[in-house]
Amino acid sequence: MLTYILFALVIGSVYALLAQSLMLSWGLAGLVNLGLAGFFAVGAYASAMLTTWGHAPIPLGVAAAMLAGGLVGLVVCFSTLRLRDDYLAIVTLGFAEIVRLVASNEVWLTGGTDGISGIPVLVPRDAGIWFHAGSLAIIAAAVAAVYLLLRRLLRSPWGRSLRAIREDQTVASVAGKSIVRFKAQAFSLAAAIAGVAGAFYGHYTSYVAPDLFQPLITIYIFLAVTAGGNARPAGAVIGAYLLVAFLEATRFIAELAPGVSAVQAASLREIVVGLGLVLVLSFRPDGLLPERSQKAPAL
Amino acid sequence: MDAVLQALINGIISGTLLAVPALGFSAIFAVLRFPNFAIGALATAGAYCAWVVNVGLGLPIPVAIVAAFVGAALVGALLEYGALERLGRGGALMKAIGSLAMGMVIENIVRFIFGNDLRAFDLPLARDIVFGPIRVGPQQLNNLVLALVIMAAVWAFLSLTSLGRSMRAVADNPDLARLKGVNPRFIALVTVAIGSGLCGIGGTLIGLDTAIDPLVGGRVLLSVFAAAVLGGLGSIPGAVAGAFLIGIVEEFTVLALSPAYRLAVGFIVILVVLTVRPSGLLGSKAN
Amino acid sequence: MTMRFTRRSFLGTSILAAGTLAMPAILRAQEGPIKLGTLTPLTGSGGAYGPVMADVVKKAAGEINKAGGVLGRELVIISEDDQTNPEAGLRAARKLIDVDKVSAIMGTWASSVTTAVAPVCWQSGVFLATVSGADSITKLPHQGFIIRTQPNTTLQGRKFGEFALELGAKNVAFVSPQTPFTESQFAALTKAVEAAGGKTSILIYDDKKTTLRTEVDQVLRSKPDAIVMGGYTTDTAVLVRDLYRANYKGKLLGFGYAVNKQLVEALPPDVSEGIVTLSPSAAQGTGGYKNVARLLGVDSPDTYSCQIYDHLNLISLAMAAGKGTTGTVIKDNVRKVAQGGGQKVDNAVDGLKLVTAGTKIDYDGASGPCDFTDIGDIEDAQFRYEQIKDGKIVLLKIA
Repeated sequence: MLTYILFALVIGSVYALLAQSLMLSWGLAGLVNLGLAGFFAVGAYASAMLTTWGHAPIPLGVAAAMLAGGLVGLVVCFSTLRLRDDYLAIVTLGFAEIVRLVASNEVWLTGGTDGISGIPVLVPRDAGIWFHAGSLAIIAAAVAAVYLLLRRLLRSPWGRSLRAIREDQTVASVAGKSIVRFKAQAFSLAAAIAGVAGAFYGHYTSYVAPDLFQPLITIYIFLAVTAGGNARPAGAVIGAYLLVAFLEATRFIAELAPGVSAVQAASLREIVVGLGLVLVLSFRPDGLLPERSQKAPAL
Repeated sequence: MDAVLQALINGIISGTLLAVPALGFSAIFAVLRFPNFAIGALATAGAYCAWVVNVGLGLPIPVAIVAAFVGAALVGALLEYGALERLGRGGALMKAIGSLAMGMVIENIVRFIFGNDLRAFDLPLARDIVFGPIRVGPQQLNNLVLALVIMAAVWAFLSLTSLGRSMRAVADNPDLARLKGVNPRFIALVTVAIGSGLCGIGGTLIGLDTAIDPLVGGRVLLSVFAAAVLGGLGSIPGAVAGAFLIGIVEEFTVLALSPAYRLAVGFIVILVVLTVRPSGLLGSKAN
Repeated sequence: MTMRFTRRSFLGTSILAAGTLAMPAILRAQEGPIKLGTLTPLTGSGGAYGPVMADVVKKAAGEINKAGGVLGRELVIISEDDQTNPEAGLRAARKLIDVDKVSAIMGTWASSVTTAVAPVCWQSGVFLATVSGADSITKLPHQGFIIRTQPNTTLQGRKFGEFALELGAKNVAFVSPQTPFTESQFAALTKAVEAAGGKTSILIYDDKKTTLRTEVDQVLRSKPDAIVMGGYTTDTAVLVRDLYRANYKGKLLGFGYAVNKQLVEALPPDVSEGIVTLSPSAAQGTGGYKNVARLLGVDSPDTYSCQIYDHLNLISLAMAAGKGTTGTVIKDNVRKVAQGGGQKVDNAVDGLKLVTAGTKIDYDGASGPCDFTDIGDIEDAQFRYEQIKDGKIVLLKIA
């Protein structure tokens, strides 16, 4: 049972990194990144290839994942940032699928649909419960580091400009802000964070494969970020842990429904998850922790 | 050369299959101003309505297609007014995310009722007709004609009826339309119903050509988006043009590159077109 | 009966989840029912296969329970959904292992899910029986905790090649989506065909495509006289239809898991006419296959249903033979009941009686003789060769 809870917390921490990535690009910069799973994959593969096949130390792998995520983010940016937000959403969704296609088909580069197994882990696996506890400590530390970084950035002039752009591009550009540059920086940093999440996921589970990076995970993270509050790093983190608790709890809810077959129970679970997201969006659109207003309070 | 010609014809045929749901997606976007990610699930819902009517009740295919339209239109309208409309306060993208989640819900309701088994329509399969080096399937020709009729009907509706003209007015400028006495909420309802219904027909056409399971709409989702984005979101003729282009590009990918990359090539075409024309082929000016 | 116990097990897990009364709950688990998990794809792209797998295990366990259970204890089956996704599969496996405390997990289908779940199983001492085909799975350092009933892909590729030759084909095309075994299967197929002076070609398609017309044109350009289809049911249905439309008249071969009852029902009879399929099989005259057919109420059950039925029986028998219920007991005893001579049995109910009486048994299942190598691959498999005739799957031979 303890292992299960620790495991859920580790997964929650990986989700928390992804949620902070989404918080930055969506909540702060207003860029709907439906390609989150793609950046997650890029980071996971970068670190897995470097540490498993290149025998590089894990910190180097994580750094490479960050770099790879950021660079790919920048490339996606350049081709899409001039687009309207709705175009961006669709193009990034397509991007994530392309990452999955490349990972599946370029067998020489990625190992194909077999994936990469035997990825080095953060703490020796034979350490029993300490394997989970140790991994949790390291990944949670990364969550905390990203949290502090984002909080700082948010309060900086950079963060304020970003929010100004999100609220009104025209006004911001009149005020002399280079909109595309700010957006590109935010998007790329967010992609780098998603890359780090991917690296840690691989170093915890020892395995990455194209199947891991289906669009479903992007939906999950949107749920986490909306539940927690999409413009506050703390909201995103809390949302991610709540999400994992919710996803796991739905298993037990499905068991309560009498007389349904296994496949019906499974569809009920997904219905509950989908409805959960819509209900949160309807009744608590600002999440548990709404954005703190930076303006003078209105009467 | 024959191969190229054949691929071109195949591309046009698969383009018509994409055009119908792309039309629906674009129409919803034009009036409601958000990308409705539930269209894949709506196509699935429509296809299952058609299947129940065709196989369950034993009625002929044309009746089944009408049922697909009506069924998907009802589900789509219910979706908009039951779940998505209230999200609109948070902006168009809130609705987009909500539609993504509701798509998952609809797909799983279908799975809950029908299971995952593959189901086929009660329709004989004919061998292709061969014209010299080129072959065409009678069923595909039927689908082509049907899709063209539907597109013509949509065009006629938009340009000849007063309701259609009001829809275009709302799409162009909601405030102006309201001044002229058009009720935008009613227009939105009609648009969502028609758009969803078109997606339902699209799902059925695919089902007639293959077979259906709960993922049938989801499988073409990205190609439909690609078509609509390429043509310019919200542009009706653009959606049709985009669908044909994506259909043809995907078939040529099979010839020139690995068939596995058809989706990737589709998106690269989008990026190229959008870099030159940020609002798509026939889209109105962005921002 | 089973239902009531499932609910009780739920209560048990809730108490565990609350973190109180943990000790009494664990004590009860040692006296109470034996818990086994199925982890099959109920949603996602493998959704066509998982539900019936979960179903056959529940039904077979019901029969075992009716006959007195295993070691006098009832079997409780907990079915989880892997969503055809390794991330979701891993979370589900952890829940089965840590909350439900299952001794074994059965039926993982996608190779990626099995590879993700495997380390968790062997570290927690939980036995894993899988139907995944990727060669890499049994090469993992699993210390004996994994068995696989799906024949390895090289063997299947070779059998396809040999059978195509037997049907008189000289030019064989392999048409498949990208899977972990596409390459090794094609290599084995090519080796067999080229040894007899024939030639092969390969085309990899996108399994989400709703029409494969241009792909079919590409394949037919090399004028193959036999086509081997490497996909799953949904995409194979599209491929078969487009081959029919293109007026392809040559031989058509497919895996039993793709060309199954569902596919036959989804195609008009004249379209599916003549397709030949291969599935792993037990020797002629054994009753395992018929047991699965009876449990599911169908004429020709899927090979995955047969395989997971064998998983359950092997695990039950191994627990009885080892007089224990842990994964380690299963791992140490599975080969004692699966192979090495003794009285032949084809179901757990008969087998359990014999084991209790101290008789050495050799289980021959629904999917094959179920004899395993040291790394958990099946040693030898015969194949059922079946053909579709008038919309029915007809047995040609078992060899």
